[in-house]
This record gives sequence, structure tokens and C-alpha cells, in this order.
Amino acid sequence: LNRAAAVAGSILMALGLSIFAWKTLVLKLPVLPSNVENLWRVELEIEARGAGQRGSVRAALPSPDPEQEVFDERQSSDRLVFTIRTERGQRTGVWSGRFDGVHSISHGFRVQLADTPLALPTDLAQKPPKEIVEAYTKSTSRFPSDSPEIRELVSSIAPPAPNDPLGQMRTLLGYVTDEILTVATGSDDALLTLSSGEGSALGKSRLLVSLLRAADFPARIAAGLRLRAEKDARATVWAEGWVGGRWLPLSPTLGFFGARPPDLLLLKFGSGTLIEETGLEAISSRYRVLRESLDAKEVASFMVPSNPLLAAVSLYRLPVGSQAALRILLILPLGALIITIFRNLVGLRTFGTFMPLLIALALRELSLSLGLSLVGSVIALGIVSRLFLDRLQLLLVPRLGVLLCVVVLAITAQSLIGRSYEVKDLFASVLFPVVILTMLIERFSITSAEEGVGAAVRRLAASTLIATCIYPAFRFEALEHLMFGFPELVISTMGVLIVIGGYTGYRLAELWRFRSFTRPPDEAGL
Amino acid sequence: VTTLVGRLRAAGVLGMNRRNAVFTLHWNPRRLYPRVDDKLETKRLLREAGIPTAPVLAVARVHSEVRRLLQELDSYSSFVIKPAHGAMGNGILVVFERDGDWFRRPGGRWIDRRALFYHSASIISGAYALGGQPDVAFAEERLEVHPDLAAITTEGVPDVRVIVYRGVPVMSMTRLPTRRSRGRANLHQGAVGAGIELDTGRTNHAVLDGRPVPVHPDTQEGVVGRLIPEFAQALEIAVRAADETELGYVGADVVIDAHHGPLVLELNARPGLAIQIANRMGLVPRLRAVDERVRPGLGWPERIALGCEIARLARDGELA
Repeated sequence: LNRAAAVAGSILMALGLSIFAWKTLVLKLPVLPSNVENLWRVELEIEARGAGQRGSVRAALPSPDPEQEVFDERQSSDRLVFTIRTERGQRTGVWSGRFDGVHSISHGFRVQLADTPLALPTDLAQKPPKEIVEAYTKSTSRFPSDSPEIRELVSSIAPPAPNDPLGQMRTLLGYVTDEILTVATGSDDALLTLSSGEGSALGKSRLLVSLLRAADFPARIAAGLRLRAEKDARATVWAEGWVGGRWLPLSPTLGFFGARPPDLLLLKFGSGTLIEETGLEAISSRYRVLRESLDAKEVASFMVPSNPLLAAVSLYRLPVGSQAALRILLILPLGALIITIFRNLVGLRTFGTFMPLLIALALRELSLSLGLSLVGSVIALGIVSRLFLDRLQLLLVPRLGVLLCVVVLAITAQSLIGRSYEVKDLFASVLFPVVILTMLIERFSITSAEEGVGAAVRRLAASTLIATCIYPAFRFEALEHLMFGFPELVISTMGVLIVIGGYTGYRLAELWRFRSFTRPPDEAGL
Repeated sequence: VTTLVGRLRAAGVLGMNRRNAVFTLHWNPRRLYPRVDDKLETKRLLREAGIPTAPVLAVARVHSEVRRLLQELDSYSSFVIKPAHGAMGNGILVVFERDGDWFRRPGGRWIDRRALFYHSASIISGAYALGGQPDVAFAEERLEVHPDLAAITTEGVPDVRVIVYRGVPVMSMTRLPTRRSRGRANLHQGAVGAGIELDTGRTNHAVLDGRPVPVHPDTQEGVVGRLIPEFAQALEIAVRAADETELGYVGADVVIDAHHGPLVLELNARPGLAIQIANRMGLVPRLRAVDERVRPGLGWPERIALGCEIARLARDGELA
């Protein structure tokens, strides 16, 4: 063993571990996520471009209600003035000022969504208050509840039922859900949706609101986000009808009645537009979402630990986008460690040093078997194409270019096939290592020509094995939390790598390679 | 596992980690690598020192020179095309005989001029270079098997690999091509490796695929106990070639040509470990003995004598 490496490695290991120990034992930061359910970090990022005129950007902000608890709100305003306006219980964040060039503004918050659905109201005879009747029962151009088609439909399928208002609502919901097709490019208009038998989510929701109003329920549109881990949130709209003392959510597209599903966040009611602007040239926005594995108190202990130095370097204070990237980045050293163990202690040969790590990284959002079969089919296709390319006798770089095209086409085709099988976002990861796959195919071909197909297959199997071993590290939430909450562990990982780097003993595979030395001479000799 | 490790250690087997960390990393400074990684550079170095190497027939450094390379080969009926930066024998194309624009490779396969052109162009594009960088293609005279070794060789030319540590030869083997190795002298491709006693020049043990074999698989002729022709001279040029590179841990590949005698084929800064299996001897005790006994300023004859002495002691079990 290399003494210097052992000493240097041990120092680094001890350094990382002592910081870790100090944070966990003295500052009492939680080591393992406490497994909270349905706590999310949501961040709205807006890029607004203006030509020097005064204007404003208005974004719907969430309000707490029995099904969602909102806290930790923060925003950045980039040369603008930020105010929060509250109108009829709807909170709106307003950035106003002179828009000159591009402004990057954001608003983030944490939200705890209820896991158990709210019970249906029981006191059904309750009358709606006056201001609700005034605001949400009139027939308007968007909600034409007075039009003859609507009136006729309501009286024919759901006649007034004073004792069973919920049943009447359910019948109307059922009609819009089942009889009207949901088409993403369909109409947003209530009457057009009704007459053509298909409409967008907004069109169907408006139709439902119109029907509810025609049946004398106060009703309105609601809008919000469907939260998905590690993806941008998807905005969606639904309807709300007032009955029994509260607003009852009901959706003709997502199919819920009486309570929102546990992944749905309510941002706005009365209209389906989440973000509005005036006086701008262009605007783009996205909602980024991260599932939290810590409860609110634990998050706070990471964000604002009792130590001011730690507070300054807390990763939990970064924007959601950077947090998501860092959570992946901080796992990479562990992948490097696994590769080192397999190559220098076990003695497996792979294609490319970090290739298995990149493959595992690319597959982290897919199930392992699906991911490996996708990558496997791309590689198989590439190897077959390479056989044909060989006959054309092309120069190296153009040949690699052609292989790259084959890989890109194969991935494109798989995405199309994936869509028709409802496997969404097959290759959503931009990190997907197309170039790595291309080089892998080329190397496989050269190795099988030079050293035999057996050697190439063995090396490919070793690469796959290592990728399979790294893959769980990217999926294991507790590990992600550990590395993200305690990035000093990377220093310890470095220490372990340095110690392994100084290991001069035999590799496991060498016990087999030099087996003639480990057998008694009468067996090994002649 | 611990007993297995103990046995390997007792046999003095050198492992990959140790070779890299202790020997190649320490004794072969990176800046000297170009001297051995570029075969043309190696040849120039050795030619200047008066060490015989396989004669170069033509060189193509860029794609436009490939046509000229093939033209210059028109007067030869057999030759070898190689990449200057190839490793492990990759990218080497041997032509045995020609019939106009058709060329016969080992194994009786015929290829046309276009394939030859393509192969040379691939070499220049870097298809066989270690890092894929642009490379140089060159043609070498095809060496011929020494008659003494013809009986234990098929389809190619055997070579003699000598490990030279700090200027002292420590271990040697000959690699005998087989039909399965397609004329190549690489053990992992199915060539036979036979350990050579440095002091006697006689083979003492042979392996195929890591298992001991008494005979060549194609000819069924015995491979153990054979005298390697002109071995003393092969050892001399191997040691002198290693001296020229200034590398401390080198594998020198020498071919005993039927006409020219021993020629240095190439040098390797990361020589493989299979030589230990071919010799059924570990390298570690010999390397340690060299560390103990070598003195700076020893001439190559003394160092060869020292290497032979150490090899004899190792064989007699007198090295710790």
C-alpha cells in the first residue's frame, strides 16, 4: 500500500466525516429523510422582455386552504417592484415597473398537499352568501348559462333535485366527462364544445360551469398545477361549484369530484389564466417542482442552521433548478467510487472509463429493465449498421458521424413508439449520452474485430454490470438526501478514492488470471 | 480468497495495480512515452543508435499520400501495413503475396487494392490509435520466420518479448502465432506464449489461453525445451533499445528474421503481465533483486550478465 496515499486519503476521509459528525451530532441535522408525504417545493420562473415601457407581470399565488398548506414564500424581482394583491381571497403577485431588456423574476414556495381527500359537505341546505351569488351565478359570454341549449340540457338530464344537489352535480359532471371528448386542440368555448362534442380542458370546464350555473349552483373556473417529481409542473384547469357551505372541486378531464387529487395544487379561481402581463414584448414562464423529503422543520434546520457559516453555504437556499441539478451532480462521486472499485479492486474491463456512470445517469428516470433494453436496442442497431458501414469503407470521422445519426434516429423512433405505448418522456433527459453511445458502438465493433466477439461481449457485459450497480444510487432517495444535505461527504469519497489509488495489491480477477500460480504444482504443471 | 492472495504473493506474481503504481508510473515518465508510442519515432531513435529494426518501405502521413504509399509498394510482393500509434497489434495488415492488384493475407484471404487503400486511410484517421488522434500509416518489410521456429509457428512471425527493468533484462518469452490468432503474436488472441530462460535461451514452459500446453496447437510440435535462435543477440538489442528510450520498465519485442537476424519490432511502456504465466514465474522477486544489485554506470554486457544471473537464481529458488 502507498503510505502517502493512505495518509492523504485518511485525512480527507476524516475531514469529511468530522464535518458530517459535527452537523449531525452538534447541530442535530437529520441524517435520514423523515419520509414526509406530499411536500413540494415549487418555483415559478419568468423571463419578461420589454422595450423600456412601464408594465406589469401578474402571477396567481397559492392560498392556504384545507387541502393545501403554503409556506416559505420567496421571490426575486430583478429591478421591478413586487407587491401581493388580494382580491376576493385570490392572491396575485404583481411585478411592476419599467421593463427594459430581459428581467428574470421568480416566486417560490413550499406546499404541503393533503393526502386524504376532504369529506363531502353534509349541510346541503345552506344558502350561498350574497357576494358569492353575485359574482358566480350570472350568465356571461364565457359561461352562457342562459342560452337555450344549456337550459334544455340541464332540464333534460339533471332536473332540479332539492334533496340531492350533489347527485345533480354529479350527473352534470358525468355528462361533460363522458359525452364530450377531451382534445388538446379543441375549443375553449362552452357552446362550441357542447355542439361539436369535443373541447379542450378549458372548454369542458367552462361548459360544466355554465351547466352548474344554469342549475342554480354558484360555479367558477379553478386553475392550478399538477405536481410531478423532477419535472416541470403541468398547468391545468377544472370547475368548482358552491354547495353545502364550500366550493366543491370537480373536473371533467381529471375525473375528480368533491376533493382535489393529492398531486393537484390550486393557484387561482375565477379564471384559467395563471400569468398575465401588460406592456411587455415577450414573456416566458415555467413552474419547476421538486419533491421534498424533509418536513418543514427539518428543511428549516438545513436552510437556516444555528451556525451562520453553514447558513451561508446551505444548498437548500439555492433556486429549485440548481437544487435539482446539484442533487444529481453530488451522486456522481459515488458513481466514480463504484467504477473505481470494479476496475481496480475487482479488475473488470469496460468500454470507456466513465461510460457506465453516464449510462446509469441517463437511465435514472426510467425503470432499469426498460432503460437497459432501450439502450441495448440502440446499441444493437448501431452494431448492425456498423457492419454495413464497414462494407462502404468510409473514413473514420464520417463513419462515426453516420453512427451518431443512427443513434439519434433510433432514439427518435423509440420516443415515438414510447408515446404510443404511453411511456412518456422516454429520453427527456438532455444528458442522454448520444455521443457516448456512438463511441461505445464503434469501440465494440473494433474490439470484436481485433480481439474477437467474445472479448467485446464480455467487456459490454462488464460495462452493463457496473451501470446496473450505479443505477440504484441515482434512485435511492435517502442517498440523494445524504449527499445533498451533507456535501462534505464528497471530500470523504475523495479520500476513499485516494486510498484505493494507492492500493498495489492484486485485483480479484487476477486471482483467476494467475490461477496457474495458485494451484498445487502437480495440477498446474505438466 | 486470502489463501489465494497469499499463494500469488508467495509466487511473486506482479499484479496490474502494482505494475501501474510502482513500476510504470515511477520508472516511465510521461514525457518519454512518445519515444515508444510512435513506432516511427522508435525506429528513428534505434537506427541512430545502430540497433537493427525492421526496414520501413513507405510512409503516408496524410490521406493524400496513401496513393503514393501503395505505388511505392508496387515492387514488393509481401509487406506489412501498420499504424505508427497502434497498440496490442491492432491495425496491422500483413500481405503474404500478391497477384497484380490482389493481395493475400494470412489465412488465405485475398483482398483488393481498394481494401488496402481503405485500411491505410483508416489508420491515418486514427481508427487504431490509442486516443483516436490522427495517425501515420507506414509499410514495413514483411519479416520471415526463422527456420528453427517454423515448426512451431503458423501464419505469422513469432517474436521475443523481453522485460527490461532499469536496463536489466528480467524475463522473456516468445509468442508463437496460431491459426486462431490469425498470425498475430498476442496471447489473448490465441497465440502460444512460451517462457524463455534468459541464461540458456531455451523455452521452459508454454501456455495457451492461460493453460499449460506441451505442443503448438496447429503443428503438434513440442514448444517446450526449444532453443531460440540467436537469442543472445536478441537480448543484446532488446537491452540496448531499452537504454535508448531511457524508460525504466520496458517490454521490448524482437523478431528473429530469417535473413536479417534479430530486429527490434517495437517497444512498450506498459508491457503486459501474461509473461509471468508463460514462464510460470513471478516478476516481483526478480525486480526486487535488480533493485538490490544494479549499480549506475553498468554497461549493457554487465547488465545482461546480471539479468541472466538473477534469472538463474530465481529458477533455482534462491531468490527470496
